[in-house]
Formats: sequence, C-alpha cells, structure tokens
Amino acid sequence: MQLSECARATSASESRFRITVPIAPARAARVIALDPVAAAVTRRVAAGLWASARFYTCQDGPVDGPEALPLRGLDGSRAMLGEVLTGSDVVVVVATEDSGRACAAAIGRACSARAVTTAGVVLGDGFEADDAVAALRPHARVLLLSADESDVSELLTALRV
Amino acid sequence: MLRKDINEFLTQTGPGTPMGELFRQYWMPALLAEELPENDSPPVRVKLLSERLLAFRDSEGRYGLVDEFCAHRGASLWFGRNEGSGLRCPYHGWKYDVTGQCVEVPSEADNSSFCQNVTLTSYPLVKIGDVLWTHMGDPATRPGLPEFEFAQVPAEQTYTSKRWQQCNWMQAFEGGIDSSHVTFLHSGGLKTDPLFKGAKGNEYNMKDTKPFFEVADSDGGLFVGARRNAEEGSYYWRITPWVMPNFTMVPPRGDHPVHGHFWVPIDDENCWTYSFDYHPVRALTETERQAMIDGHGVHSKNIPGTYRPAANMDNDYLMDREAQKRGDTYSGVAGIAMQDASLQESMGPIVDRTKERLVPADSGIIKARQKLRKAALALRDEGVTPPGVNPAHHRVRSAAVVLPQAESFLDSCRDAVTATPGVPQSSV
Repeated sequence: MQLSECARATSASESRFRITVPIAPARAARVIALDPVAAAVTRRVAAGLWASARFYTCQDGPVDGPEALPLRGLDGSRAMLGEVLTGSDVVVVVATEDSGRACAAAIGRACSARAVTTAGVVLGDGFEADDAVAALRPHARVLLLSADESDVSELLTALRV
Repeated sequence: MLRKDINEFLTQTGPGTPMGELFRQYWMPALLAEELPENDSPPVRVKLLSERLLAFRDSEGRYGLVDEFCAHRGASLWFGRNEGSGLRCPYHGWKYDVTGQCVEVPSEADNSSFCQNVTLTSYPLVKIGDVLWTHMGDPATRPGLPEFEFAQVPAEQTYTSKRWQQCNWMQAFEGGIDSSHVTFLHSGGLKTDPLFKGAKGNEYNMKDTKPFFEVADSDGGLFVGARRNAEEGSYYWRITPWVMPNFTMVPPRGDHPVHGHFWVPIDDENCWTYSFDYHPVRALTETERQAMIDGHGVHSKNIPGTYRPAANMDNDYLMDREAQKRGDTYSGVAGIAMQDASLQESMGPIVDRTKERLVPADSGIIKARQKLRKAALALRDEGVTPPGVNPAHHRVRSAAVVLPQAESFLDSCRDAVTATPGVPQSSV
C-alpha cells in the first residue's frame, strides 16, 4: 500500500531533506534594566556572545515624554529611549523591584507607539517588583516572573538576538 | 531555539539518560484501567520510556508490569497464558507472578530452588481513577501516590482516554502550554464543539486574538497566564498549570468539565497522550460522556479496538479542504486533539529545534525547557528531587477568570488554581 503524503513526509528519513540554511539573527533587541540590581544582572548577561542585542540601564531624573527617557549604555554612554528604540523590534525589560515603575511605563508606552514587542523579566519572588509588573502589564506581550536570573539569557538565546 | 545537544538532552528518555532518570522519579500513567478489565484478562504490551514491558492482572486482581520477555529464551510473554495467579510463557512453561518473580520452571526438579533466582524487572502498577500508574525509578525514593484531581474524584465525575501520538513527547507537551495557538488552530471548535461551545469566555477568546502572557514558577512547575481584553477595565485570564514533567491542564469554559493531558514518552519518537475531563462537583452528564467517547473536546475518535486515532498520518488526518474553506475548521482537520497532533507530528519524529525562530509569546515553552533541563541536571549531579514529585504539587487546577486590570492573576487566583475537593472550578 502506498504511504500517504503525511506518513511519508513526516518520516525521519524525509526529515533529512529539509532545507538547511544558516539562520541570521532575526531580531534587533534592546535589553533595559530598570533598577540597580537588574543592571548588575544585565551586565552579567551582556558578557555573553550576542549578535545584535544592546544593553542599557534606566537613569533617574525627570522624564519629558517616553521618548526622552534617559538611558545609559553599559559603557557609560548616554542615550534617550527614542534613539535606542530606532531600528529595534523587541525590547526586553529586566526588573527586580518596584523603583523602575515610571521607566517601565515610559518604555511600555514608547514601544506600543512604535509597534515594538516588549517582554519583561521580573526577577525575585514577584512581590518586590509588583509595581513594575503592574506598570509593564499593559504593554509587555510577555511577563516572565522568575527567581532565576538565567531566564534573561535563556529568553535572549531563544529569540536569537 | 535550542542547541543540538540540549535538544537531544530533553528529548531522550531511555534508561540511563538524564531526562529518562528524571521521568523515573515520577508516577506515570502506564495504561488505562479498561485495558485490563478483569482478572486473568489478556496481557497488554506496554512500552514506556523506551522499555518494553507487559502489563497483566492476575487471578487475584493484582496488577503487574514486568519485562516483556521471558528470562529463559527471550520469547515475548504477550503470548503467555494468564492463569493461576501468574503469567506462563507458552514456549517452555516458565511462570511469573506480578512482581516478576519466576514461580515455576517445569523442566527443573519439583523442589528445585532455581526459579527463586530468576526475576524479571518489574514495576508497581496501581489503579487510581481510570488510570494504571507506574513508578519506574528506585523503590527507595518512591514518592507518594499521585493526587491529580481528575483521578481522585468519583468515577461518575471523570473520563480519561488515550491516543498514540507519533512524535517525541516534547513536541506534544509543548502544545499543552502554548496558549497562543488556540485562537487560530482551534477557533472552529470554540463555536461548535459540544464540550467547549457556549461559554462567555469564548467570546473574549474570539474578540481578542493577540493575548498577552505571564509566566510564573509554581511549586510543581509553572503557571502560564494568557490575558485578553474583557469588559472595560478588566482582563479575561486563562491560567494553564504545568506540573513537571508532563502534566498540563486546559483552562475551563463555562460549566463544561475541566480537561487536561499527560504526555507520556513511549520511546523517543512516540508518546501516549492521556486526555481527561472531569467536573469537580458533579457527575458528567450522559451527553457529555458520550461526546467524550465520540472524540469531542480534547479526546480523539480512535480506530475501534486500538488507541490509534481514526484520523492519522496514514490517511492525511482525513484532511477536508472544503471544511477549511467554509471555516468549519481552521486547518481542515477535524477535532481539537487531531488538530494539535497533525501539526505536531508534521514536524517529524523529533523536531530540529536548532532551526526554530521563537518569539516572546513562546516564553512558557522557553521557561519549561529550562526548568526540565535544570531539574534533570540537579538530579544527576546533586541528587535533588525535582519539582512535581511531591503529591502536594499535583493539587492544581486550571482556571478562567475575569479580573480588574490592575490585579495580578497569581495573587487573585491562588484559590482558583488549587484543587479543593467539593469546590467548583473557576470558569467563565
């Protein structure tokens, strides 16, 4: 009896004929730490090998609209959120407590306006960062509440950034 | 995406592999109780975690799960005679009890002690609910019996089916925590399936096709919350629990029974999908039970006398392009179960995850893979008991609720996601 198309196509031997081409990093990611502890985590993550991810920390200070949110690169350089988001298509926000609430809201609003997908990783037991979670919730497509800082690396690796 | 070595690590569950050892920490569904319906009923071949076994029920009603092959010459005991409180190989008459102990070697002298030294590998087989459960790990660390609610409620409140799925267990399991596919693949079922339709929650599902997700650790695994817009100022949350390594539940709809799955590795290229429906506080109606038997909801219509779905890869899953065009089904395949299975099997026996392009909405899957890998490594390297072994971790429920926008689903739904006898499910 002749095999059906599905039975033939799903065999291990047919799997060998799937087209194999190198997969280029697909996303221009920005990783933004919302508080000092998150900044330390982000520095450790940034030490890994990333194709196109760039890493920032939020800075305190008055905010004149979301686009003007002051950020600092890990090399100390200053930038505004609007500049950082240019050319980006995914932002991963890292928080460990609720001091970054205003930053989270600004990033969320700016990303929504630019159609940039936002993901948040909230490290800790979730309680310390409740405000950050609440601020991110309307904007972040995904919130990962975790006690494990390696979730940041795992997420970035899975996203091929 | 995963590196090749990590993909192999997670998908290989045979003896001696890290994930195989992880699975062997847990009680697992081995077969349905209906497969051994009476004392001395025919034995059943069972392959689990790449081990070929044989299940039987002896003359006293005791269940056994033993090495499939006779210790003498390696003949399959499936051909054996189940009689007189044991299973006798028809080749030379060697006989074994439910513990795998050889109790007769007819060619030896009547009082010979030879058979005392002949034992087949065996595992316990315990009936809880509609399922016969086994534990294939070290008896010294055997945990308490499973306490999943679907197997604890009275028989009239629960129904379990199973189907053979022709792919690695991870492909099937990952569908169980992937809430974002429901809006597309199962959109037809929300309108027509007798075990899904009519719920208010379905309206939220269909109006908001871009859910947001929150993923949080639980004692036994994860909770994955999918959030959609509801009325002004509120969100509709669907909360999916995962208990490690392979138990997932589907958030309920209205007063329909609650459902979920166990994804049990047969070998590295096949798995059993156990699908259950239960109602925490009432008997299933005749109509509901018949719908389940007929393959609606999460169940499948199987080839009579087998656990192979009637729609399977050999008949292209009875693909109906006209139904797809009409919108009766989104993919052209009928039934929730086979809609999932057809696509998961289409990936091949073990999908090459080095080629994936995951998105943030896949965070539940990303996190689950990480938890499995870390648990398997912690077990191997430090002997750490993994989450989900403790029976207390089994007492979870899925939930579907409408909450004010500011509320955390974790804080607001602690009771809703806890299985409490006599308390109805939280559902919309």
